[in-house]
Amino acid sequence: MANMAVSRIKREFKEVMRSEEIVQCSIKIELVNDSWTELRGEIAGPPDTPYEGGKFILEIKVPETYPFNPPKVRFITRIWHPNISSVTGAICLDILKDNWAAAMTLRTVLLSLQALLAAAEPDDPQDAVVAYQFKDKYDLFLLTAKHWTNAYAGGPHTFPDCDSKIQRLRDMGVDEHDARGVLSKENWNLEKATECLFS
Amino acid sequence: MSFILELITSFVRKMLELLTFGGKTLTNTLKIYVKTNTGRTLTVNLEPQWDIKNVKELVAPQLGLQPDEVKIIFAGKELSDATTIMQCDLGQQSTLHAIRMRPPTIQREKLLSMSLEEEEPTGTPTEEASKPLNETLLDLQLENDERLNITDEYRVRAKAHFFVHCGQCDKLCNGKLRVRCSLCKGGAFTVHRDPECWDDVLKPRRIPGHCESLEIACVDNAAGDPPYAEFYFKCAEHVSGGEKDFAAPLNLIKNNIKDVPCLACTDVSETVLVFPCAAQHVTCIDCFRQYCRSRLGDRQFMPHPDFGYTLPCPAGCEHSFIEEIHHFKLLTREEYDRYQRFATEEATPPPPCGTLGSVVCSALPQS
Repeated sequence: MANMAVSRIKREFKEVMRSEEIVQCSIKIELVNDSWTELRGEIAGPPDTPYEGGKFILEIKVPETYPFNPPKVRFITRIWHPNISSVTGAICLDILKDNWAAAMTLRTVLLSLQALLAAAEPDDPQDAVVAYQFKDKYDLFLLTAKHWTNAYAGGPHTFPDCDSKIQRLRDMGVDEHDARGVLSKENWNLEKATECLFS
Repeated sequence: MSFILELITSFVRKMLELLTFGGKTLTNTLKIYVKTNTGRTLTVNLEPQWDIKNVKELVAPQLGLQPDEVKIIFAGKELSDATTIMQCDLGQQSTLHAIRMRPPTIQREKLLSMSLEEEEPTGTPTEEASKPLNETLLDLQLENDERLNITDEYRVRAKAHFFVHCGQCDKLCNGKLRVRCSLCKGGAFTVHRDPECWDDVLKPRRIPGHCESLEIACVDNAAGDPPYAEFYFKCAEHVSGGEKDFAAPLNLIKNNIKDVPCLACTDVSETVLVFPCAAQHVTCIDCFRQYCRSRLGDRQFMPHPDFGYTLPCPAGCEHSFIEEIHHFKLLTREEYDRYQRFATEEATPPPPCGTLGSVVCSALPQS
């Protein structure tokens, strides 16, 4: 009975469209296909976080058993966050797994993800490297997260130092995204990053 | 002139009425069993528009009594003379109870001479003949204040509806609430009050009544207290298979009298399942099946110490496990078999390591 999922999603779609957050442009949602089983969400990076000013796109897949099972959500926009994979965009959030409840909606999912951006849980990480940096070198974490927000989500902060290091690696024939990934992982130490890439 | 015309038209109308009545009665006649407390069972054919007075007139001569010496008991109530058969929610081959009126005290004095003194102050509650239970009973989901402030218009909608899983029809059916004596299991039993909540119906020893199934009235204890009513359910959708034909009550399934949308698909259905959580979350029957199916697929039912292998409210509410596991009979037979298989497997934990042999044990994930 895929009808259950579809009629529910249609209703939730309207709910999001009428919500205050839409008016404030902090969340957005759109259809990807006519079957209502795949949607595209967008959340604004919350203020006073390294994600401020960025727009993050989400892939939302609705299972046939929705709302008894959670929607499958991942970040399409690349993001530097302890609970989100910097490679695949997979999210570690309890309500998208065991703590999902049928009373939750697309709107509450988007708002929860926004809240996750504002309050990371480094002790329950999805990306161990990011979580380690978050706990051990918080300043570098902030810089990296802002840089990623600028590079992928249209954030305002530019870091010429980061850009030039990435350019150095690109000159050596490394793909831009790989270069950024490795440098971020190696705390922007160009030597170590090069070693990592070419050893 | 006009007088003659009137006579003719009224005559024609009467003939027409007779004709239409004749047509109706042919299809609507109910074959009903009438049980007496002397152990006899009569078979009678009743017309829906007849009233209880007609029934008494039909039955009394066969029992060697006068019509006013007989009282008719059905589903916990002595029926008033004016009640029509139509109002009684009788199905084909239902059973009515015809009891000879006994001047209560004299008869009881003879039979219970020892408890005579206690008998007087309490007295047997005088049962007034009334409408059948299905006419007077209000929906059990109503709160007490809602019962008091009910409008006549709403009353029709708020009349009690029961749903059962019928083994014979193998589906969700409309159910009928029936009453019998908890001691002798006889049906000639009248309740002292209507049930007002599910606990009144499902839990024993909640509502006392008066038993007339046997020559000697049943008593609950040596003090002569009245026995308790025992409620049970029958399927209203197949011809009654007699007094042993029961159906499992699905007490969470209700008529959606408050028009609550389904939590999952958000449609407003006529029949819904209301979860036993504080928020009273509602799903339609299809979505409930879907919910069970999704949890069964992931093997996510939970073994509850008292209720068995069950599910909570899908909104994740506390204390919301389904107590009556017959609700899972709403799944297909194949799915229900799978449910039962998982339930037995969960109930008997695998034997501890060492008893199985190392080969099997090493294959089990370490936890």
